[in-house]
Amino acid sequence: MYRVMIIDDEESARKLMRAAIDYKSLDMEVVGEAASGIEAINTIDEIKPDIAFVDISMPFMDGIEFTETATKRYPNLIIIIMTAIDKFEYARKCVSLPVFDYMLKPMVRAEVTKVLERAKEKLDAMGGASTSDFADSEEEPAITEANSTELIKQYVKDHITDSTLNLAFVAQNFGFSSSYLSRKFKQDTGKNFAKYLTDLRMKKAIKYAEQGYKMYQTAAEVGIPDPNYFGRCFKKYVGMSYSDYIVEKAQ
Amino acid sequence: MKFGNWGLIKKNRSGVSLSLSLKKLIFEVVLVAIAAFIISMTIITERERRDYGVRDSDNVLKTLSSNISSDIEKYTSLSRLIMIESRVIDFLRAEVSAVSMGMINDARYGIMDILNSTEGVDSVMVIREDLIIVATNRFTYNYNTDLMNSEDWRREIYEGNGRAVVSLNSYGIAEKADGRPMVSIGRAINDIDTQKRTGLLMMNISTSVFENMLTRLGYNNICIMGTDGTFLAGNREYENYFGDEFLSEKIRHRNIRLGGKDVLLSGCRVNDLPIVILRVSPYGTAGIPFRMLYILLFLLVVFTLMAVFVAIFIRQNITDPIFELSGAMERNKRSGELKKIDVEVPYSELNMLEGDYNSMIDHVNELFDELVEKEKTLQKAEMRVLQEQIKPHFLYNSIETIGFMALDAGADKVHDALETLGSFYRNFLSKGDREIPLSREICIVKDYLSLQKLRYGDILEDEYDINEDTLNFVVPKLILQPMVENCIYHGIRLKGEKGTIKISAHLEDGELHLIVRDTGVGMDAELIEKIVTSRSNTYEQNSSSFGLWGTIERIRYYAGREDVVRISSEIGEFTEVEFIIPDMMHPGA
Repeated sequence: MYRVMIIDDEESARKLMRAAIDYKSLDMEVVGEAASGIEAINTIDEIKPDIAFVDISMPFMDGIEFTETATKRYPNLIIIIMTAIDKFEYARKCVSLPVFDYMLKPMVRAEVTKVLERAKEKLDAMGGASTSDFADSEEEPAITEANSTELIKQYVKDHITDSTLNLAFVAQNFGFSSSYLSRKFKQDTGKNFAKYLTDLRMKKAIKYAEQGYKMYQTAAEVGIPDPNYFGRCFKKYVGMSYSDYIVEKAQ
Repeated sequence: MKFGNWGLIKKNRSGVSLSLSLKKLIFEVVLVAIAAFIISMTIITERERRDYGVRDSDNVLKTLSSNISSDIEKYTSLSRLIMIESRVIDFLRAEVSAVSMGMINDARYGIMDILNSTEGVDSVMVIREDLIIVATNRFTYNYNTDLMNSEDWRREIYEGNGRAVVSLNSYGIAEKADGRPMVSIGRAINDIDTQKRTGLLMMNISTSVFENMLTRLGYNNICIMGTDGTFLAGNREYENYFGDEFLSEKIRHRNIRLGGKDVLLSGCRVNDLPIVILRVSPYGTAGIPFRMLYILLFLLVVFTLMAVFVAIFIRQNITDPIFELSGAMERNKRSGELKKIDVEVPYSELNMLEGDYNSMIDHVNELFDELVEKEKTLQKAEMRVLQEQIKPHFLYNSIETIGFMALDAGADKVHDALETLGSFYRNFLSKGDREIPLSREICIVKDYLSLQKLRYGDILEDEYDINEDTLNFVVPKLILQPMVENCIYHGIRLKGEKGTIKISAHLEDGELHLIVRDTGVGMDAELIEKIVTSRSNTYEQNSSSFGLWGTIERIRYYAGREDVVRISSEIGEFTEVEFIIPDMMHPGA
């Protein structure tokens, strides 16, 4: 089964994408969605997709920026651009990026299915799920530094405002595979990397919230410039919405 | 902007043209020159003629004066001979008592002997102190005895002291019985021995002497008069013009009018004599200084030629080039383009004008370009606003949203329809491309027909026979859709029974043959002829076949040739339209 992720700021578009295509017959399943490029960057390491449908016009980080970042970190990820805006400029940028295909909305099932069939062929040819960027690798790195986890924690602290910070990025930076880093990090800290990063950001966000910052301001300060995604993260972490939290703190 | 006004300005500008005023100026200059020539010629001619006349008269009058003087001199010497004649002396010396008739007669004979050889003397009177007279020709005279007795008349003669004193008409003491005037020479007589005055002598000279003289000299324009205004000889006509100014010995001249002609009247008094000579000389051609006039005339001709030359020079070198420049500008204006002009002009000043015009043209063109550029930018902006308003992606996203809703509600057919509609619009709009591959065009038609089938259900069926090698053939966008629209609305629907639209495409000699066939009501030959042969935009827009005609025109424009379509039809059976489209992407291939 190949894993499919849908990145689109419109919920109905995501749902249509999910519902209209018969993934089963293609030996695929939709494993996750993201409503923005920011959210996708933060969740992609856990979703671990083989194929990503990416909309171009999204706020905070558009499809092009996301693709630029993602293709560097996940060279085997198959990116299929879906856009309603038929602009030459977009097409030109996408051609310069290693995107698998460029499709215009509104989607036509037959066309999407055809593209997915080709994607499956390519994945099959590459050796199936084992070649995924997210595949578990048992290999230990040749050199392991004892305090590498500490170094990584420090690095994350220093780069907390970088909205593109994620596991794959840090792993690449420190010369580990992301699966090794993920395992080692959880071993050493008891938390997985994504949770650690989000918790760190939320702690910081709470400080800002206590100072009365508006949500979008705090969101930008802590490296999650998409306030919708930030709001969800905050609520999950604190147990109430940012605005409620501010109201409560003010009392 | 109104560039058309330039021409008008040129024509209406104050109404005075350089060439016209130049012509006027030259004409006036020549006219003034001719007038000056005529006036100066007249003045010079008149003057010269007068001077000539004056000189002529001077000569004649001087000659005549001296002739008269010498004649009078001659008679004076004759009078001396008489004075010394013995019988006359005897008469004068005799006592009063001794004077007898015989003595008087002797004296008379003595006088007459002397006069014998001389003409012109009318009478000689010798008067003693005691007034005893010896006279020749005495009976033709009337004597004024009262005057004779007075001393007055003798005093003048005596004051001459023996020299001759000339007077007229015997000092009044004796007048010719017939009234003819006489010139009298009077002198006192003194005794040769005693030197005592013994009497006086008076000689009356006939005016015929002067007549003869004039005849001899051939003068007929002379009038000889006495200082008292009596006519003596010559042309009597001039008598009336006598005046005091001629009493001087200096020659005087006066212009008078005689017999309808301007003539010169000259006159003077003869030296010491009571005689005035008048001369009339007409102004003849003799005095005209022709040589000078010819020189003047020559100068006038030279001047006129120069003026004409200057006019021609200015015309050729200034006004003609200006006209040429103006003409070039006018042509430029008419051509509707603002190009630089290139006119050969002879002088740097005019070159400057041309240069200025050209730089202005440049400037205007720059302004134009700027304006056009601005207009374009504005249009682009407006287009963008328009496109923003249309926002096809909004349409597409909405179609997707509604599509999901339909799917979610289990209305799969609605989702199908929406998907087709979305696909149709996506291909239909096609980023605004004018030319697309045939495959896209087929997609559009398929979507269109499947949407139409939703509407009209089972009256419609579509078939496709598209050769694989035609799929990438580039055709003008939207040539099939209007065709099938035509098939439905003007073919199949009118027939009221199920119809089929068949689209087929194949290559032949590198050209695409695209055939749309419907089993509709068909088309009559007249309409086909009209559609195929109609040209330009005269085709009635409301006509039901306008869509078909417009599509043909577009393909003609795209292909760059007329022969692109074949239509065949059978009324009630079918219509088949075949387009033949050349490969414009790989021309010549």
